[in-house]
Amino acid sequence: MVEYYGTTSEVPWLFLLASWIAALCLASFVYTLWNRAGLRLHLSVHGTSAAPGSPVGDLPEYLLRNSPLPEPIFEGDGVVMEVGLDTTGAPRGPARLIGFIGSEQISAATGLVPRSGWRHTVELQGLRRGPVGARAWILESSDLAGLFRSRRANPDAEVALVLPRFASLARRPQARDLEASVAAPRAGSGTEMFGVREYRPGDSLRRIHWRSSARHGELIVREYEPPGVQTLGIFCDPEPPGSAVADQVARLAASEAWDCIRNGGRVMLWGPGLTPSERGDGRSLWAALEWLARYPTRAAAGQDADPPRVTEAVAVTGSAQPEVVEALEMVRRRGGMVRAWVVEPGARRAPHLFTDLDLDGPVQHVGTDWPL
Amino acid sequence: MRLRLPASPVENSLEGRAFVFSGFCVAVLAIVLYGQDYVVPAAGVAATAVGHVVSYRGRSRKRSVLGQALLATLVFAGLAYFVADSVLALFGGVLPQANFAIALVAVTSFDLKTRRNCYSSLWISLAILYLAAVYAWDYPFGILVGLWAVCLAGFWMASHLRRMQARLSAPPAALAAVVLGALGVGLAGFVLIPQPASFAPTPLVVSLPNFVSFKGELENPALPLVQISGDPSGATSSVDLHFRGRLGDTPVMYVRTGAPAYWRGLVFDTYQGGIWTASTRGFREMQSFIPPRLFPPAPPNNLGTFVQVFRVLRPLPGVINAAYPIESLYAPVTSLREDSYGTFFTPDLLRPGQTYSVVSYLPNLTAKELQNEPVANAAQFINPIYLDAGELSQQARGLALTAVGGHTTTEFDEVMALTNYMQANFRYSQQLGHVPAGRDPVDWFLFDVKIGYCEQFATAETLMLRSLGIPARLATGYSTGTYDPVLDQSVVRERDAHAWVEVWFPSHGWVPVDPSPGFSALAATQFPSHWAAGGIARLIPHLELGAPLGAIGSLGVVAAIPLAVAIVVLVVFAWAWMRTRRWKRGAKAPPGESELLRLYERVQRKLRRRRAPPETPLEYLSGASPGPVLGVLDEVTQAVNEGAYAGRWADPDAVRELSKRL
Repeated sequence: MVEYYGTTSEVPWLFLLASWIAALCLASFVYTLWNRAGLRLHLSVHGTSAAPGSPVGDLPEYLLRNSPLPEPIFEGDGVVMEVGLDTTGAPRGPARLIGFIGSEQISAATGLVPRSGWRHTVELQGLRRGPVGARAWILESSDLAGLFRSRRANPDAEVALVLPRFASLARRPQARDLEASVAAPRAGSGTEMFGVREYRPGDSLRRIHWRSSARHGELIVREYEPPGVQTLGIFCDPEPPGSAVADQVARLAASEAWDCIRNGGRVMLWGPGLTPSERGDGRSLWAALEWLARYPTRAAAGQDADPPRVTEAVAVTGSAQPEVVEALEMVRRRGGMVRAWVVEPGARRAPHLFTDLDLDGPVQHVGTDWPL
Repeated sequence: MRLRLPASPVENSLEGRAFVFSGFCVAVLAIVLYGQDYVVPAAGVAATAVGHVVSYRGRSRKRSVLGQALLATLVFAGLAYFVADSVLALFGGVLPQANFAIALVAVTSFDLKTRRNCYSSLWISLAILYLAAVYAWDYPFGILVGLWAVCLAGFWMASHLRRMQARLSAPPAALAAVVLGALGVGLAGFVLIPQPASFAPTPLVVSLPNFVSFKGELENPALPLVQISGDPSGATSSVDLHFRGRLGDTPVMYVRTGAPAYWRGLVFDTYQGGIWTASTRGFREMQSFIPPRLFPPAPPNNLGTFVQVFRVLRPLPGVINAAYPIESLYAPVTSLREDSYGTFFTPDLLRPGQTYSVVSYLPNLTAKELQNEPVANAAQFINPIYLDAGELSQQARGLALTAVGGHTTTEFDEVMALTNYMQANFRYSQQLGHVPAGRDPVDWFLFDVKIGYCEQFATAETLMLRSLGIPARLATGYSTGTYDPVLDQSVVRERDAHAWVEVWFPSHGWVPVDPSPGFSALAATQFPSHWAAGGIARLIPHLELGAPLGAIGSLGVVAAIPLAVAIVVLVVFAWAWMRTRRWKRGAKAPPGESELLRLYERVQRKLRRRRAPPETPLEYLSGASPGPVLGVLDEVTQAVNEGAYAGRWADPDAVRELSKRL
């Protein structure tokens, strides 16, 4: 338009203005490409805020120190997410971010992304159990005047994992708790392998771990757990009816796992058609909680496993699952103790559930409220 | 998810409003500097500042009917002021239109509630800048244009960031790079890219009888060649060679022109006793706009037309100085007068700030063209007064014969021979004493001092040409002045006042010839001798065939630059377009693929088990529990396998059939 007026007005300054506007457009286009090329999305957990009743306050310090997660987040807690942009080289901008964290849409924008990066914090409250996904994130960058814009989709990612709440279900005296908490597993000659150590005179040659010995260049022997260590199998409902039941199943299972592990026991989490927990993680509360946070996770075809061999089993279920009952029966036949938690939402109580079973242990019916 | 942002609420941005106000201030500064208007701009800036504060604070309040009525009244008051300012030149302003625009911005600044209002204010300030640009004749004005462009960019930036809900901040180094880069590239583009010219499709000429209050001052400092006469325009009817005023460096007018030319004013045909006079005194009254049909026919083989806009800087006689021959003329006065020599006059003196526009032909007056005219033709149909050598002495007539000796083949040869002789054998100087009493000024110049200024040279040559039988007359006016081809303008100073000869060529009319040393002998309007793309390319669309080639030819290798830039731009765009096409083609899914995959997803949902990533469709099929869906799954699995592994995607109709069965 300015150029047109220039052609009809005999005022060359209009050509200069038109030329500058055109040059501004050109420079803006180049700037948009440059801006887009150097911006990267940043998503991380900046901090957490424990809600009332969160187990994070009750956890022993050594457990928190060994947590594989940066900061454990339990359901109901709040989390401060850090959404931001990183730049390569020089400061850039402007840019806008839009996407979802969990089910909440988040949008933030800045004119300047400094060399150290730009951060925007978002507080999410009352988180539900399970992975917190960052999905459909779009990074929109532009030139300074907004003449050109560029959008880039970022791959979905998991930014946090919300663990199920738990509490001790064992009605044991305080003294037992203290005693149990200091009962560290000891290496001995039981049946479950505990670890390896260097050979000492007197060790049985049968216990030499030849592969490790070859690797280390010295004799290495296996160590076994002492007999009598509790191995608790927690058999979970593979298809809980509804998310509230699933959450309660996870909480009960986590509570059982907590009681077992702090007593020096091992936990095996299993469910028909579900990916079982790793055998080596039996003593890790965090591994159990992570498994339960993702519960129910379907196993890939051919990767589901038979019920583990355990000394004691507890079923946590919301429906009459024949495979679970069968697994409990198997444990019972081997001489193990079995019991069951049945989660029933108020409207569909089924007191007949498990009544036909010949279980040598209690069956407790609970609702979906927490704490129990 | 809402990706598209709503329109920017820039009216809520203090920074955005600051840029709007800054743009207005830049435009007003331009008016102050170049329009010599002070009162209204100063009042306008103050009122606008207050208006911005008021409208920012009340941006969320609803407009009241009373307030709107008040604003409308103020706008009409501004319009009334504009009319009064145009007629009466209140406060000595020369840009009543700019004052009106300033008043408009000041009034509407109290009602800047929306984004659109802010943009309107910005565009009006651009109009104000444009009005100042009409009077801007120097490069520093480019700084103001640049500042305004920066304000515009800043407003866009504030608007964009407000739309994104981000604070106004930017990477400083990158911002500086963009601004400086854009300014640099824009400046290069301004110099290198051709500037086309065209006529507005609907010309709107509003002629207000401005400056009628100015009458009667007999000032004539800028035309020292002529003396005061009783003409109300201040124009004289004589040139006396015995006297000569002192010529200063003061600019008398600016000329925005497509080509450098001599700005011809008065013409004289009778020489007696050292004084030139015009023998015919008749005038013809004309309108302020004289269309082409009222002018003589276009000269033959002309190279087109070019426009000149004159802006008067000092009081001048009411003579329209312009390049001749004229095609059309517009002067914002009540009427014009034309004398019998084709010179136009205004009713009053031309006063500072006054402008007028002339469209002139670019005649094809080259040596080759003029050499075709035989000598015998020259005097056949011309007024005998142009052949009257009158008091020219025999000695001078003999000198004329000597000067043209051996160059009598054509009239042009004779004229050029005499002109070259004058330029070669006489010295030009403005420091000349008085002509002794009783001595003929021409003889004194030719034989006594051999030093003269333009009148001496022009008079001597005119009379000598007449003695040779070649019709000639004396033309006065101004030489080109200091011509700037980039800005298409020249600054004409007092010292550019000039006199030259006009020689009659039957086929070409009056041809300017300049015998003064240091000037081109054939003083016809030419293309700029030194090229700058902005100046020369501006002419091209005006001109007919021949001129563009001449213009381009004068550029040499540099002419290839705009062409090369255009080709590169075209190639880049074509490449970008082809890449886009290729991406689109690559990204497009074959028909049936997406529908089939959606159906496959549906089947999995129905079976309540999703296919695991490592699981092949056949494995998934074999693991599926028996049921009514199994049959469809079997067929869908086959179709998916065939599409994924053989590239033969199912027909969309077949997929829809399967979907129905499901």
